[in-house]
Amino acid sequence: MLSVWGAVLIFLIVGVIFGVGGMLAGYILAPRRKSAQKSIAYECGVDTIGPTWVQFRTSYFLYALLFVIFDVEIIYLYPWAIKFQSLGLFAFVEMIIFLAILVVGLWYAWKEGAFEWT
Amino acid sequence: MQMDFSVIIPEIAMVSLGVLVLILGLILPKKSLPRLGWFTSFSLIGILALVVLNWNNVGTVSGGLYLIDQFSQFFKVIFLTAAILVVFGSMAYVDKHLGGQAEYYSILVFSTLGMMVMASANDFITMYLGLELMTISFIVLVCFRRNDSESLEAGMKYVLLAGISSAVLLYGLSLIYGIAGTVLVVEVGMILAVQQSLPLLLVGVVMLVAGLGFKIAAVPFHMWAPDVYQGAPTPITSFLAVGSKMASFAILIRIFVLGMFGVSLSWGILMAILAGVTIIIGNLVAIPQTNIKRLMAYSGIAQAGYILVGMVTASQAGVKAIMFYGFIYIFAVVGVFTAISYYYNLTGSDEIKDYAGLSQRSPLMAATMVVSMLTMAGIPPFAGFVGKFYLFMTVVENYLWLAIIGLIMSMVSVYYYLMVVLVMYRDRPQDSSPIVVSLPVRMTLIFTMLVSVVLGVYPGPLSEIINKAALSFFMH
Repeated sequence: MLSVWGAVLIFLIVGVIFGVGGMLAGYILAPRRKSAQKSIAYECGVDTIGPTWVQFRTSYFLYALLFVIFDVEIIYLYPWAIKFQSLGLFAFVEMIIFLAILVVGLWYAWKEGAFEWT
Repeated sequence: MQMDFSVIIPEIAMVSLGVLVLILGLILPKKSLPRLGWFTSFSLIGILALVVLNWNNVGTVSGGLYLIDQFSQFFKVIFLTAAILVVFGSMAYVDKHLGGQAEYYSILVFSTLGMMVMASANDFITMYLGLELMTISFIVLVCFRRNDSESLEAGMKYVLLAGISSAVLLYGLSLIYGIAGTVLVVEVGMILAVQQSLPLLLVGVVMLVAGLGFKIAAVPFHMWAPDVYQGAPTPITSFLAVGSKMASFAILIRIFVLGMFGVSLSWGILMAILAGVTIIIGNLVAIPQTNIKRLMAYSGIAQAGYILVGMVTASQAGVKAIMFYGFIYIFAVVGVFTAISYYYNLTGSDEIKDYAGLSQRSPLMAATMVVSMLTMAGIPPFAGFVGKFYLFMTVVENYLWLAIIGLIMSMVSVYYYLMVVLVMYRDRPQDSSPIVVSLPVRMTLIFTMLVSVVLGVYPGPLSEIINKAALSFFMH
């Protein structure tokens, strides 16, 4: 007899087969012909020039970080905006404080030169 | 729903202070940045006064998620006192070695806020939030010596440790939630009290002990402590040793003594063994250390073991003993580390052999280190003796072997503490010029030494206050 959790088990088994089976089939069926072209690093189809282990700017990281801050801000702003009418003044003040703290963070990043690209 | 915000004024003040220090760092010209240390310390003193003045102003916020009782008030006093002393002790160090005063003090304030949240949290989610706020702040502080590879290594190790311990802790909490169906600690306590001991509960308990064991650096979860303690800036090491440890004990007490009171038999023996092993290994491994910060790290592990002894019986006496010991532990640790960091400022060395003749160069620093170390070793008439007395008294009845281990190992610890004292007082200094101790450091040293002596001779009033606070903890 199959209980409710039996479905989960079947799901799990099929999932494993789906994942492992694909790789296994590729491993068995695919022809293997090595060439110098194939072993170079893939970079949008064009041959790479120079070593591929290069340093890239940490500014990208700062941008990503600041982006996440405002992403999270939006998450909290949406429900607040929808329920704004019924929440009243108190929630408004709370949201202003929340935004003010984020703005201080942005100000700090700005002042520390996170947006300078040189 | 209207909430009573007056009870969380200290927390609100802490947030404001953290943000304000950051803003001041942006506005002020570079050369007045060192004054931020004074500003932060005096603001923290103000907030400490707020907590003390609102001692009896207890209540809950957010429908019981956040609980302010005398127990949490007392822990807040511990954290704020530690933070104040650390800020005083670190001003010279920060100005000379670190820079970035605004960031340093602001993050320090936020980590203290995290501890305060941990002390007051009454549900798993809030506890975890406070824990993460504290831990992430500490990660930044640990690798604040940005050009020093040791500091970065320490930061890296702390990140990994924080990740692992948080994962284990969360998994344990989720199992407990799975059994009880609620995240409120008090309700968990009521549900577990009527329930049979389940295997699942046991797994959850083990996970919780492991997760929090990392934070308090109990053996076998202590491997990170010596490296991180050695690599971190010295004032931060002291804050890590006191603040992080006591905050973790606050939630350890909250979860176990309040939330799992009904099943205390299943974790009491676990805590007892953990405490015994921690005391033995911490003290024995401390003996061969040659670096003073590593020595203090292992002694800190041993201290965590002593404090764990108070958890074993899940009684009011045990909670009281932990709170008392935690209070005196701040002054001992901060006293030693302030001297260490000031000495490092002058000589650039943390090796014990370089402390030769410190008693001739600066009698005050040497005396503070002696008093603090003897407090940690539990020698009368210093405060540590009273603290250890309260701790071991709780287990004499049921776990006599643990009390005996604690007493024997305290004697062992006297050996390695006195080795340092011997170097300071017997050996001749290579450079015998006297050391001029700056004002904030001198204040910190004298204050910590005084407290260690006064509480050792006259522990009565503090003991009374803590008794009441521990009683309030069981009133829910």
